[in-house]
Amino acid sequence: MSNSNLFLKSGFVRAPLQNGVGRYVCQLQRIVLKFCKSHGGSRGMRDFIEQDLVDFARDNPSVVVYLKPRRHRSPVVVAEYLNGDRVWMSMQNKTQSEITKWIENMRTQQGDLSAVRLRKYQYTDHPSIQGPWTPFTFKNPELNVAKLPNPKFGANDRLPMSATEQLRIMFEKQRISKEEVKEEKKEE
Amino acid sequence: MAFVRRFITVIPKLAKHVPITVQSRNIKRWVAPTLMELKRREDKQGGKVTNPRNTFLEWNLEAELYAFGKRLNEEFDSDLLLQAFTDRSYVIKEEMKQKELEIDLKMKDNRELAEEGRKFMQEYIQLYLETVLHKLPAEGIMCIRNHLISEKVLSNVSFHLGTKDIILAAEYPVDNSILAQTFEALVGALLQSCGEERAAHFVRDFVITQLQGQDVNEFWEIEDPWTMLTEMISKTGSELEPRLIGEVAKNTLLACYRVGLYLDKKMMSSGFGETVAIAKEMAAREALKKIFGTEETMHPINFKLNGIPKSRSQSKISAS
Repeated sequence: MSNSNLFLKSGFVRAPLQNGVGRYVCQLQRIVLKFCKSHGGSRGMRDFIEQDLVDFARDNPSVVVYLKPRRHRSPVVVAEYLNGDRVWMSMQNKTQSEITKWIENMRTQQGDLSAVRLRKYQYTDHPSIQGPWTPFTFKNPELNVAKLPNPKFGANDRLPMSATEQLRIMFEKQRISKEEVKEEKKEE
Repeated sequence: MAFVRRFITVIPKLAKHVPITVQSRNIKRWVAPTLMELKRREDKQGGKVTNPRNTFLEWNLEAELYAFGKRLNEEFDSDLLLQAFTDRSYVIKEEMKQKELEIDLKMKDNRELAEEGRKFMQEYIQLYLETVLHKLPAEGIMCIRNHLISEKVLSNVSFHLGTKDIILAAEYPVDNSILAQTFEALVGALLQSCGEERAAHFVRDFVITQLQGQDVNEFWEIEDPWTMLTEMISKTGSELEPRLIGEVAKNTLLACYRVGLYLDKKMMSSGFGETVAIAKEMAAREALKKIFGTEETMHPINFKLNGIPKSRSQSKISAS
């Protein structure tokens, strides 16, 4: 992640308003094409308006299209979305096919996606399926039918060796070694 | 000449100290103070001014209304649609203006449509939920319905359908109550222009789907689940018995108890908690969820029911 991403608004992958659960709503609500009628930088934009715009408007009746000619200023497309986002994009010196592709991109996205840093590439409302953990969650079912007290389940496999146990082992060792000495003496 | 001779010794020294521009990347210490100063000036002017979208040059209300209907795939009557977007505050403001100019044009606001839409939504959502969550008692359904038709949910729906800019109101940005009322008025307008079924599907697709991904149980707060459960069980004549089926770390901070509920000696549910009482309550809640058919593992709610479902009492009569 580069440093500039730290200042982006962060978000998750979400569909606005459960879009598509009921019916699909195109999220682009209006688009404003600003261009100059004489400058060369607006050439691609003028071509787009002449050739593709009517088809675009016919195919997408839910998008309001505004044209705004302005003298001697660079061409710009402003897209407004249902969630309140506004995407401003300069179309200076772009060809007609490039503009077509950018506008298609604007039509299909759901907001100002390039200004959002995704925290994760997936999202869930319910991160846990099993529910909160309790000491009984993964309990061994063998215990249900065991007869207690049971040396298997009663065994100490958890705590370190106690002092008493250590002493007892030391005492045993000592006794064994004494016995060995005695046996050796007898053999002699 | 004397002047030149006097300073000629200085020239080589000056040449040594000619500043050569060196590029370097520093922390830009001027950014924050500049922004702060700009903010201060802006506040002094009376805060940030945001012009409402409908005061822009590129704004055509007729086109916006047409696109609004197309966006939702509905055929609104255009007069009714405009009326649904007209808030009371706007009408008052316009009447004041007209008085000054001494003209009289009648304008309709959306109060009646909103009233009609609200009534329809209440009835329809109630019927829909009764059909979809058929085991849940009426009280629970009422709580879910009240959540769905609350201002918070409706204003959110309304905002995301793009009413924010089209609404005719006295002040912008419009507040949530106006957004919610406009949505109700839209339902009312659709009801008048396309009939009940279209309006019902509209409500289903945009309001009831808000339940998707939500826990239905959260909307109904049961005060005393144990009493409720015992009352329900006592009607059936079965025997309900809570048993302590696990305890860990007793008398410590991390104590955990587990209580199982047994209905006629068969395990119904279990719950855990830091005391036995809490564990019992949790077990009762689990049992109630099972009875109401709203467990965590329930099937997702069906959002595809067509038409207006019949009410419970009617369907019972027809079944018998």
